[in-house]
Formats: sequence, structure tokens, C-alpha cells
Amino acid sequence: MNKIITFWKKGDSYILLTAGGLLFSLAMVIFMISIILIKGFGSFYVSDVAEIKMKDNTIYLAEILEKEEVVLQSESGKSYKQEQTNIKIANRDIFDQDFKWINSQEISKIEYPQNVTVFERWEYGNLIAYVRNLNYNGKVYLTSDKDFWDTFSRAFEKSEENKSEKENLEEELNDVLSPVSEIQREIALMEINFSWKTKEIEKLKQEEGTLQAEINFQIEQLNKKIEQKVIENSEIYAIVQSGDGTEITLELEKVYRFCRPNDMNFIAKSGLYLTKIWEYLVEDPRESNTEGGVFPAIFGTVMMVILMSIAVVPFGVLAALYLNEYAKQGFVTRLIRLAIANLAGVPSIVYGIFGLGFFIYFLGGTIDQLLFSSKLPEPTFGTGGILWASLTLALLTLPVVVVATEEGILAVPKANKDGALALGATKWQMIRKIVLPNAMPGILTGVILAISRGAGEVAPLMITGVVKLAPTLPFDTSFPFLHLDRKFMHLGFHIYDVGFQSPNVEASLPMVYTTALLLIFIVITLNLSAIFLRNYLRKKFKTSAF
Amino acid sequence: MQELTKFQKRLKFENKVASGLITLGGYGVIVSVLLIFFFLVSETLPLFWKTSLEKDFEISGKTPISIGMDDYKELVYQVYENGIISYYNIKQKKNVKYDTLSLSAGEKIISSSSTLEKDEIAFCTDSGRIINAAVLLTPEYSGNSRSIVPKLVNYEDFYGKESGKSLENLAFDKNENGNKFWVWTSEKKNVFIKIFDLEEDLNYTHKLTELTGGTKITASAINAETEVLFLSDENGEIFYFDISNYESPELKSHWKASNNEITAISFLIGGNAVVLGSKKGEVEIWFQIRNENDDVVFTKTQVFENHNSEITKIVPSQRNRTFLTVDKSGELHLNYSTTSATNVKFDNEKKGIKLVDFSPTADVIIVADDNSKIGFFNLQNEHPEVTVNSLFGKIWYEGYSKPEFVWQSTGGSDAFESKMSLIPLIFGTLKGTLYAMLFSIPIAIFGAIYVSQFAPKNLAVIIKPIIEIMAALPSVVIGFLAGLFFSPLFEKNLLLIVLLSVAAPILFVVIISLWGLIPEDKRRKFSNTWELTFVFIAMVLVFMIFWGISEPLETLFFDGNVKNWLYSNFNIGYDQRNSLVVGIALGFAVIPIIFTITEDALTNVPKSLTSASLALGASKWQTVQRVVLPAASGGIFAAIILGLGRAIGETMIVLMATGNTPILDLSLFNGFRAMSATIAVEIPEAPVGGSLYRVLFLTALLLLIFTFIVNSLATYIGDKLRKKYARY
Repeated sequence: MNKIITFWKKGDSYILLTAGGLLFSLAMVIFMISIILIKGFGSFYVSDVAEIKMKDNTIYLAEILEKEEVVLQSESGKSYKQEQTNIKIANRDIFDQDFKWINSQEISKIEYPQNVTVFERWEYGNLIAYVRNLNYNGKVYLTSDKDFWDTFSRAFEKSEENKSEKENLEEELNDVLSPVSEIQREIALMEINFSWKTKEIEKLKQEEGTLQAEINFQIEQLNKKIEQKVIENSEIYAIVQSGDGTEITLELEKVYRFCRPNDMNFIAKSGLYLTKIWEYLVEDPRESNTEGGVFPAIFGTVMMVILMSIAVVPFGVLAALYLNEYAKQGFVTRLIRLAIANLAGVPSIVYGIFGLGFFIYFLGGTIDQLLFSSKLPEPTFGTGGILWASLTLALLTLPVVVVATEEGILAVPKANKDGALALGATKWQMIRKIVLPNAMPGILTGVILAISRGAGEVAPLMITGVVKLAPTLPFDTSFPFLHLDRKFMHLGFHIYDVGFQSPNVEASLPMVYTTALLLIFIVITLNLSAIFLRNYLRKKFKTSAF
Repeated sequence: MQELTKFQKRLKFENKVASGLITLGGYGVIVSVLLIFFFLVSETLPLFWKTSLEKDFEISGKTPISIGMDDYKELVYQVYENGIISYYNIKQKKNVKYDTLSLSAGEKIISSSSTLEKDEIAFCTDSGRIINAAVLLTPEYSGNSRSIVPKLVNYEDFYGKESGKSLENLAFDKNENGNKFWVWTSEKKNVFIKIFDLEEDLNYTHKLTELTGGTKITASAINAETEVLFLSDENGEIFYFDISNYESPELKSHWKASNNEITAISFLIGGNAVVLGSKKGEVEIWFQIRNENDDVVFTKTQVFENHNSEITKIVPSQRNRTFLTVDKSGELHLNYSTTSATNVKFDNEKKGIKLVDFSPTADVIIVADDNSKIGFFNLQNEHPEVTVNSLFGKIWYEGYSKPEFVWQSTGGSDAFESKMSLIPLIFGTLKGTLYAMLFSIPIAIFGAIYVSQFAPKNLAVIIKPIIEIMAALPSVVIGFLAGLFFSPLFEKNLLLIVLLSVAAPILFVVIISLWGLIPEDKRRKFSNTWELTFVFIAMVLVFMIFWGISEPLETLFFDGNVKNWLYSNFNIGYDQRNSLVVGIALGFAVIPIIFTITEDALTNVPKSLTSASLALGASKWQTVQRVVLPAASGGIFAAIILGLGRAIGETMIVLMATGNTPILDLSLFNGFRAMSATIAVEIPEAPVGGSLYRVLFLTALLLLIFTFIVNSLATYIGDKLRKKYARY
């Protein structure tokens, strides 16, 4: 006991206590990141489908997810424990929900039948069922037939082909119709705003009539073709049976992908796993963001940070140059440093509300009145868009760039600078040839840190132009290619939106974890490279100011 | 002077441009900060602008019975006692059209009463007839111009029961089903109500005198939406009728509201609050609240500035809770119910006021005096519901049983009374910050002390990047994990979490004390790695112990469910997304900030100081405690307040991990609504320039000012510290 008392008296125990604080922080970071890693990578896992027979003879075809003990209250008020199993029964359109908790004790048998098929559908999530037969080319194929699954794949390909052809035709139809609908829009606008210009309206209406007559034949032809494809596809269907015995007619065009997980070996599963990751990265979201990919969000995030960098880097570098090369150290520099410290501490939401009020309503509103007055009251720049979001974040990341650039500039040896000046270089020549190249790693560090901050920031974006689902990308092939006024999607907001605003949170949770994983992957990679760069910089000049 | 070469000229020019641009960049930073600050201020200031009432123009003519204007303020109608209606065009400054209400020979209109929206008016004539009509002013467009087309629509007319020459206190209203209600006092001083049921096409007329006891009725008001009738008598008694049963109106209650005669009654928009004006000039608002006995009673909730003489008229706005009160001497007050404020007092140059009304947009007040003059006054009253008191004080809102701090900015209907007290939001922000700081300060400072003072050098190299990554983790990811992963996890393992946060540190201290059992000389020989390993094992052990015992404990002492036990024994509710979760998540976000700055401050303590201490024989910890910590205390303080600044402004974590309920309650087990999250959620829907919009800007401004103080203080301390160290 005495030993312990002296141990505390001498204070050696406090060292252990402080070590506890450190270990706890580290444990939290590691715990959080591992959760995201496990759950994020786990969401693409192709799990086997079990046929679960209950004691009351109900049968579920489902993926078994987790087991958990819950405390229940019996009728007499006594509480007791029960182990429950969470299963994914899918088939949302039939069962109303994707997930179900069942009493583990009530399970009588679990089997993994080979021929269970999981269909990923364009709508209503997955369908888990036994395939009974296939109608294709007017013939009925039975599962017992030889080469049934080859035929099934062929039928699926055919229906996909039909579908894409149909979509092409529909696009063609839209192109044909677009001049007419443009005129119709014009007429509608005229009738609202300039209803007294009856002559001009009449003229427009005549024009509409002639155009309509010209394209009528084309429309008819296209409609016929589309209808043919629709009919063709309605004749490619499979009869499937869900776990509870319901027979369902499944048109193959409703299927996005199918697989028989119980029949797949490790290699096939890994292949599918990788395909899913790839799709996640390059495809558009489906089913209100809960399935499919996040390509538009990745694109929007990248686009936004690029625009942000274009705005913030010159500004930040100029400010840093001024502070260290031009200004006399004194009141003004103190003021600027204070301003930078304050900019760094301003809550991001305050930048957001400033961006909304100043950039969008004030600047955007003015631009609309000067340049886009014909479109008013529908705003062009007077509403959230990628330009305003980028500018807001540029302001937010300014201190990051300034501080990192300063470090770079300060690390440039004075001898080099004096040497340049002594040789007769102007100040600007000296900065361009000596300071900037040598401060490059510092500037780059700043850019990377700014990008990392910008990629992870959500609060200011959600009020300055981020949306849950943007119909178009801010950059495309139509003139002027870069659409600064468009709203965009963002990975961080995607997490918030899908995790907290979507109607079916449980089903979309895997997607959120994956997006979180992607986001922290980006952020950590950026930060590690910034750390690496900074270490390089410090090593190179060994005269660090910090 | 030698002529400069072209090249030299270019160099000189470039140099000039560059130095200009760079200077601009430097000053640009200051400009940005000032721009943010002054922009926020400029968006906030209109909230506190004074209400102004200024005469726009005046027309002269006979004083009308009823007056009104269109939405675009182009055309004014006036109904005179002889039934003539004139339409006055404001631009052309002349009457452009006339209409006539059909009256019998010699019949005169003596009073009128209309719905709040003025879509139907009941006129009362001196022959005891009630004539319902509407004057509709609809805009029509032809060519480039808009013109207001007036139209007189006649509805029913009838002779009031027992009407003779003097029919008094006429009140009329119509509800959205088209049912109409009239109430009047007959020549024989009996009170009658007539109800027209549109759907059934039935008329009911009831005599209410037996119910009121036969005293002299002095004022009446009717609300068709809530189907309520108010009568007042000469003794200051109020009679409150429920008229929803058309066949038999019911006297719900009556009470003495004033010692003086009530001379005017009016409902405010929404029909829940009623304004009373007395003979002595008192103005007060009453509405129904639930009292301690769970009875619903009318209670006096707001009292306004007194008039000097008898209140003759109370005119409510159809836009908001503004209302006008007029007294006998011709003084006019503009009041706002929520804030109990009299915003404008206006003395009509000692002339009596015959008639007062709002324009439909409620930004023009029309005043007709005895002197055949009708004045049109422009009213500037953008944000009457916001005052310093309504933002930071308790306000008695309609339907609430006592004055309270409430944030509920938007509601379903136009008549919604917006409640914008910043107190619940500030409280929420501070609550979240408090728990976050409680969690993060010890961990971060302990960790920083260890890394800077005791850790092996190669460990610090690994730890710093990890902490930097911790700082870089997007708050949306932390918030998402807190809201969707930790909240359900904590709910399931509530006892474990409570044990871990209360009992675990104690057990941890006990276990690490065991390290002291190893003889000192041996201990000193161990490398730091052994120490760390031991601490790690101790932590795991503590966790395992509590994990193991929490379930048996829960079954033994808490009936298997701590949540229910807490609720049934202490009435403590548990929300899944609560302050405990937020405190930890927000703390997680703050730890790296405190950690990094503290670590910097500790590392920068001059070596000469620590060496001196160690040389004098102090132990490592003694040196840290007596030399390093005091020397770095300023830096540590700066670290804490910078962390505080971050916690206060953090948005996504509090948005995702709290229930965002604006309550005033310090309990760990329920949520809160923070200022930052409120801005994020409500600003997209707030109409630009509206009260909510500006109040949210004010909220942002408060956050900005707070972080400004915090950051300037931290910068100041940092500078001082640097100077102090420079001595060594």
C-alpha cells in the first residue's frame, strides 16, 4: 500500500493516466474508422440465401444478417430474454419491408438451396425467389431443361437490348418533339405576360400547327416502333415463387441483375463483388439514391473543389506573399493575421448563410436582373449553384491556404532571395523565380488541405447549391459546357440525405456506409499526402518557422 | 537620365502590377472578414427598425360608413350613409365610378361590420334593416396596363328581429363554408343572433338576452371560423358563447373582465385571441389557456399602453397580429399582440377619428376624421413580431399556459403565431458544447501531455498524423455514425455506457495504481513501451469487466431494462438521439484541436526550464506539473477556447445526432436544438427578407461574434506566450 501511495505522491502514476488519455483517443479513431471500413466494404458482399423453415411452417427465403438478445415483457409483466434473428427478406413490393426480426427459437430448419435466385430490380429493391419457368420467344422453358440458365441469360440480354433500343427511340422522339414544345412554351409565356399581343400569339400558334403537321408522320412511326419493343419485352418473363409460395410474374426488363449466390464459388462471388464496387463508382444512383452508384456525387464533389481551388489558391498565395514579402511587419500585418485566425474559426454554417445572402441573393440576384431578366422570375444565378457553393468554400478554406503557403515562403532561405536581388532582379522576378518555386510544396500542401476540407464540408453546401438528386451534371457536352449555375450532388451531403432523409433508412444504410468510406478514403489520402509534402518541405529546408 | 529599354520598362511594369495585386490580396483578407461581418449586420438590422407611420396623401369629402382599397393600392371605395358608393382612383385623384346600395326612401346606413378579409360587409340601416353586400376590386389586365375593376355584389337583406329605429352593436362574420353569423342589439335592448347555414339552406334566429341576464350590452364580436361569440356589458362582464350548435347557442362562461365598461371587442387573426377595450382606455388581450385544474379558461395575457379616454374602435390586421385601437379623443395606437408592444402612437391633430382601416396588404392605414378628411398613411412595420424582448425574453404565446421561451418559427397556416425566442437555441448550443467539452478536455490534454513529455520520440511521429487525420474526418461522417450507429448502440447498452463514463475511470485509476507495486528502481528501467502496454491492458480489462457485469446488473437491479427503470422511478425520458451521444461525437471532433494546440504549447516550453527543474531533482511528473504546465497554461487555455469555438459552431454533428427539439432541459438523455443546426435546416425555406430570415442571420451573427471573441483571445494569448518564451 505504501508503495502505491509513493507512486501517486511522486506522480509517476499520472504518466500512466496521461497515457490512458492518448490511448483512448487513438482507440476512438481506430474504432470509428474500422466500423466504416467493415460496414462500407461489407455492403457489396454477396451473401448466401437461406431457406428458413419456422416451427409454424412459414418459410422465409432470406439473407441472415445478425442475432441479438432482446428483453421482452410477458403478459404477466415479467421480462424475459429472447434471441432474435434479423433477416433480409427483400421483396419489398410483397412484404412491405425488406427486413424482419424473427424469434430464433422458432426456427426449425435452415437450408441453403442451390437454385434460389436474387434479382436486383430497377425498382422495389431485391427480389429473392425460386425460378419456376421462363417464357421467351413464345416458348416455355422449365428449370429442369438442359441449358436453362444459358437460355435465361440470353433472354435477359435480349430484354436489356430491347429496353435500351426503346430508350433510344424515346430520345429520338423527344428530339423530334422538342421544337414543338419550345414553341408551346413560348406561347404559354406570351399568354401569361403579354396576353394583349394576340397577333403574335396567333402567328406562333400557326407555326406550331405547321410544325406539328410536318412531324406527325415521324412521331407515328416512332411510336409504333416503341410499342413494338414494349410488346416484345412484355413477352419475356419468368414465373418465380417467393418464400411464402406466392407466384410472381417477373418481366425480365425490370431486372437490373440476377445471381444465384448459393451456387456461386468464391471466385464468382469476388468477381461480382468487384463489379459492384466498380458500378458504385461509375453509375448513377437508383431508387432515390438508395441503390446504384454515386458517380454524380463524385463528379460534383470534384468539380466543386476544382472551382474552389481556382478561386482560393491565387487569393491565398497573394495574401501570404503580401504578409511575408511586401508588408512591413506592423499593425496591418497583425490585423491581417487576426483576420485569418478569425476566418479559420468562423463556423462553416456562418459561411453558408453568408454565401446564401451575399452570393446567391445579392450577387446572383443582380446578375439575373442584368443578364437573365427574360427568364425571371425563374432564377438563373439567383438560386443555389456550383459557382456560389465553390466561392463560399473558397472563403472558408482561405486561411488553410494562407497558413500553409506562409510556411512554404518562410522556409525559403533568405540567402537565396538576397542573392537574387543583389544580381539586379526586381522584387517580382525574385518572387517568381526564387520564392514561388521553392514555396511550391507549401502551396501544394495548402491546396490539398483545402481540398480535403472542401470535400468533407456539408453544412454550407446544403444551403448554397447541393441537392439530393441533380438531373444534370454541371459539366456536359451542351454549350457552354461548364454550367456554373447548375445545382450539383456532393458525397458528404449524400451521406446526410440518404442516411437521414430517405424513407427507407434501414435498406439504404449499407449505401451510406460505403459513401462514408469513400469520403474518408478521399480525405485521408489527401491529408496523408499533405503531411508527406510538409515533411518533405521541412526536411528540405530544415529552417522551419513552426 | 538614361532612357529605359523596352525590356526594363516591361520589368518595371510587371513589378508594379505584381506588387499591386499582392497588396490587394493582403488587404482582401481583411475586406473578406469585414464583408462577412457587415453583411450579416446589414441583414439583421432591419429587425430593429422602428415602426413608422407617415401620411401619404389625403382626400376630402363626407365621412363614409365603410372604406376599403384594393391590393395594388390604386382604387378606394367609400360607402356613404345614403347608399352611394364612390370609387376613387388614387392616381387620377378623382372618383371614377359610382354604385348605389338600394335603400328605401329616407333610409340611412348607420353602421357596418365586415369579415376580416372584407369579402362581405353587413350594413345596418336606421330602419332596422341589415343589408349584406360585397365590394369587389379585381385587377384586370389589358395590354400593358392593369386596371382595377370595381363590382358591387348584393347578398341577402332582412329586418332584424325587434328592430325599430335603433339597432346597435352589429357584428357579422362568415366562415369558409359560407355560413354567416349576425348579432345585434334590438331597440328593446334584447340581443339576437342570426345564423345562416349554407349547406342546409336554413336560417336560425335566437334571442340571447335570457342568457346574459339582461344587462346593457355594450360591444360584440363574432368569429365564424372558431364559431365563438363575445358580448360585453356595462359592468365589464364578458359573455362567451359557443355557437357551433346552430340550433341552440350555448353560454360557455362569463366573467368580470374589467371594473370599467368594455366598449370595444375584436378578434385577432386566427380567432383565438380577443382584444378588449374599456371606457377608461385600457387595452388587453385574452385567450384560452388550460389552468392547473385542467380547465380551459379565458385569461388576460397581454396588457397594452393605456389610452386617455374611452376606446371606440379596435381594428385587427388581416395579415398579422397587428391591431389598431382608437379612442374618443382621436388618438390611435398601433399594437402588436405577441410582443405586447404599442409600436406607434398617433394623435390625429386633436380631431376625432370616425373610421379606421387597414389596406388588404396591411401597409396602409386609412383614417377618416370628423373633419371630412380621409388620410392615407404608409405603415413601415416589417418585423413587428421580433423585438429584443421576444428574442431573449419570455413571451406569452396564444394557447400557452404561461410566458415561455419557445422556438417554433413556422406553422401550417397564415394565422400561425411565429415563436422566435433564441433562448432555446442558445441553450441547446451551450448544452451540446458543455458535454462535448467535459468529454474532450481531459482526454485531449492528457493525451497531449503524454505525447509531448513522456512518449518515446518514434511514437510521436506516428501519433501526430493520426490526430491530424482525426481532425480531418468530415463532421458529416462523425454525425452519421453518431446518429445511426452509436445512438442505437447506446440505447441497447445504456447501463454499460453509464458505467463506462462514471465507474470506469475510477477502476482504471485503481488498476494503474498496481503499477506502483513494482519497485521503483525496476520500474524506471522499463521502457515506455511497457508502460503503454500496461495501460492498454488496463483499459481493455476495465472495459471487459464492465461489459461482463452490465447485463447481470441490469437484470438484478433494473428489471432488465434501465431505460424503463429510469422512466418509471425518476420520470427521466430517454431519446435515442440524445446529448450523451452528441457530447461524445462533438467531443471527438474537438479532441484533435485541443490536442494539437496543447501539444504545441507544451513542446514549445523552453528546454532550459525543464532541464533546470530536472537538475534540481524533481521527478518527471513534478517537472511537468510545476514547470511545464504553468508555463504553457496560456496555450492550453487558448486550446480549450478554440475547441469551444469549434464545438459551438459545429453543424452537421448536432444536426444528425440530436432530435433537434428546442427544449430547455439539461438532461443527458434528451436532445436539443442548436443555433447552427437551426440555421441549416430553416434558412432554405425562410422567405428572403422575412422575419425568420433575418432572425437566422442574427443567429449567425451571434455565432460569428462569439467565435470572433474566442479567436481574437486565442491569438492574443498565443502572441503573449511567444513573447514570454522568447526571453529564455
